Amino acid sequence: MTDVSRRHLLGGTVLAAGVLALPGLVRAQQDGPIKLGTLTPLTGSGGSYGPGMAEVVKKAAAEINQAGGVLGRPLSIISEDDQTNPEAGLRAARKLIDIDGVSAIIGTWASSVTTAVAPVCWQAGVLLATVSGADSITRLPHNGFIIRTQPNTSLQGRKFGEFALEVGAKTVAFMSPQTPFTDAQFAELTKVVTAAGGKTTSLIYDDKKTTFRTEVDQVLRGRPDAIVMGGYTTDTAVLIRDLYRANYRGKLLGFAYAVNRQLVEALPADVSEGIYTLSPSAAEGSGGYGRVAKLLGVDAPDTYACQVYDHLNLIALAMAAGGGATGAIVRDHLRKVAQGGGQPVNNAAEGLRMLAAGGKVDYDGASGPCDFTEIGDITDARFRYEQVQGGKITLLKIA
Amino acid sequence: MPEDVLQGWLQALLNGVVSGSLLALPALGFSAIFAVLRFPNFAVGALATAGAYAAWVVNARLGLPVGAGVAAAFLVAALVGVLLEAAALERLGRGGALMKAIGSLAMAMVLENALRFAFGNDLQAFDLPLARDMLLGPVRIGPQQINNFLVAIAVMAALWAFLALTPLGRSMRAVADNPDLARLKGVNPRRIALITVAAGAGLCGVGGTLIGLDTAIDPLLGGRVLLSVFAAAVLGGLGSIPGAVAGAFVIGIAEEFTVLALSPSYRMAVGFVVILAVLTVRPAGLLGSRAA
Repeated sequence: MTDVSRRHLLGGTVLAAGVLALPGLVRAQQDGPIKLGTLTPLTGSGGSYGPGMAEVVKKAAAEINQAGGVLGRPLSIISEDDQTNPEAGLRAARKLIDIDGVSAIIGTWASSVTTAVAPVCWQAGVLLATVSGADSITRLPHNGFIIRTQPNTSLQGRKFGEFALEVGAKTVAFMSPQTPFTDAQFAELTKVVTAAGGKTTSLIYDDKKTTFRTEVDQVLRGRPDAIVMGGYTTDTAVLIRDLYRANYRGKLLGFAYAVNRQLVEALPADVSEGIYTLSPSAAEGSGGYGRVAKLLGVDAPDTYACQVYDHLNLIALAMAAGGGATGAIVRDHLRKVAQGGGQPVNNAAEGLRMLAAGGKVDYDGASGPCDFTEIGDITDARFRYEQVQGGKITLLKIA
Repeated sequence: MPEDVLQGWLQALLNGVVSGSLLALPALGFSAIFAVLRFPNFAVGALATAGAYAAWVVNARLGLPVGAGVAAAFLVAALVGVLLEAAALERLGRGGALMKAIGSLAMAMVLENALRFAFGNDLQAFDLPLARDMLLGPVRIGPQQINNFLVAIAVMAALWAFLALTPLGRSMRAVADNPDLARLKGVNPRRIALITVAAGAGLCGVGGTLIGLDTAIDPLLGGRVLLSVFAAAVLGGLGSIPGAVAGAFVIGIAEEFTVLALSPSYRMAVGFVVILAVLTVRPAGLLGSRAA
């Protein structure tokens, strides 16, 4: 008798203490709508992307709600503006976490904003899904609370290496001005090329010089059959001219943001002929991509809109798989719905039905396959491969 | 291998001479303006850009030959330079040389952004085919480089002839030497100052055009070489005409040799170390005469 009542007392006390100890957001999340935040650059230098990102998340959430919500609860999306500014982003994140009580934040765009916001998120147990590319972000001690769908700069280096091998190169030279990601890119490039028995050299140049003749001579002494150009438009234009003058006839590879339309127009057609370009791409032609296009009412949604669409779907599926709506549950179950085999699915509504029926899903989204490493990077992403042909940039493939 | 190294050195030397000849014209303009007006005109970079755009309009838009473009570059840059001087910088003269130098920096920004407004941020290129380099024994050089080099040399020769042989040139040298004495002799210093600015700015315009011919044109074309131009003029001895040319070649060659031995991040540092070394031995610069 006394035993039982003591057990009751103990149980009751633990329960009460547990409830009190739970942060307000968890209590609020016990029933009623599941709150999620979008933190996108509605203004500032990311201002051309942020509004579309916020819009696609709102509309995709409405679709999920129409299909019955997650765990029987509707999703409620709160949109905030990070102003492409770390300080403003941090304030908005605090508001989303402390006042609104969201369990996940979707969409930070600039690497500087993501870096500022991340600690607040992981300390509060809120999942942060981002589209920022800097390598350093996923190396933060985030305890699994960060995932990103933008290929990091190392992955981009690897893709350059693989593509150089694909076009038949054995000796690959890397020419780039000093940027925060130069070293990481070259290291990955080298790893891929040497693994295939090739070799690489690199030369860092000063992008303010008016000619790169001596630099080009240095690099050509190693007789490369492909040169990867890591610079921006202005210096890359000078570099391409000097390579042409030096009678270089091997392959040229560059970033699509540098070897762009204006660069091609500024060069004679025979000089730019054959240059390959790479850029991260959404999974154009995939089912998820089509859905984003339809949600936004555009033909070609940008990669960021596709990425945040995937963020929302992954979060919704992870909540359903984990049977709860907290950031920790999303963290623990996200990879179970993102990868590792299961029914392929490209939207949450369908995936939620499969999960409810006891199935296993493998989400392949609008931005790519959405498989994550332990620290939250994507393992693979689609890239756009283009080539300058007859003075026009022509799509070769998306892979 | 040693043969390879030697070949690399020869090529770097040649490349340095070519890039030195590109730096020489704006450096001459900068030095000439300093000699007569006694202030560093930092608008030379923007004036070079303005000249390059003028040449580009004449060549690519109007379809005239590049020679006409070079002439247009000289005229337009000269006109813009005189306008900046007469409309803004002259009035700042009472505040001293520092005020004028700061004013010229401001004018450079205004000019650069006006060009950006008019022509956009995009790269523009001259309507010229790009030729592969020719091999001259162990080294290679492009026809465009040879042309640029010859144009630069011709312009320098013309400037020398103008200063040495014409009465106007003699008046300019007189004002540069001793403005008070020149005034006593009946030389109008303001007129000479404006003519000097026109000639100096025109040289910058031609220099900018040559850089544009070698690379491409964008609003930052002149701004990117401003530090090298300044270094060349200081090295040669501020105000010394032959000094500016010598300084430009030394800086050009030093910058190319940096690539062979050091990380390019040190390119600018090497330029300034050269200046430090030269000015330690010769405080007035390579060919400067006024060690005041």
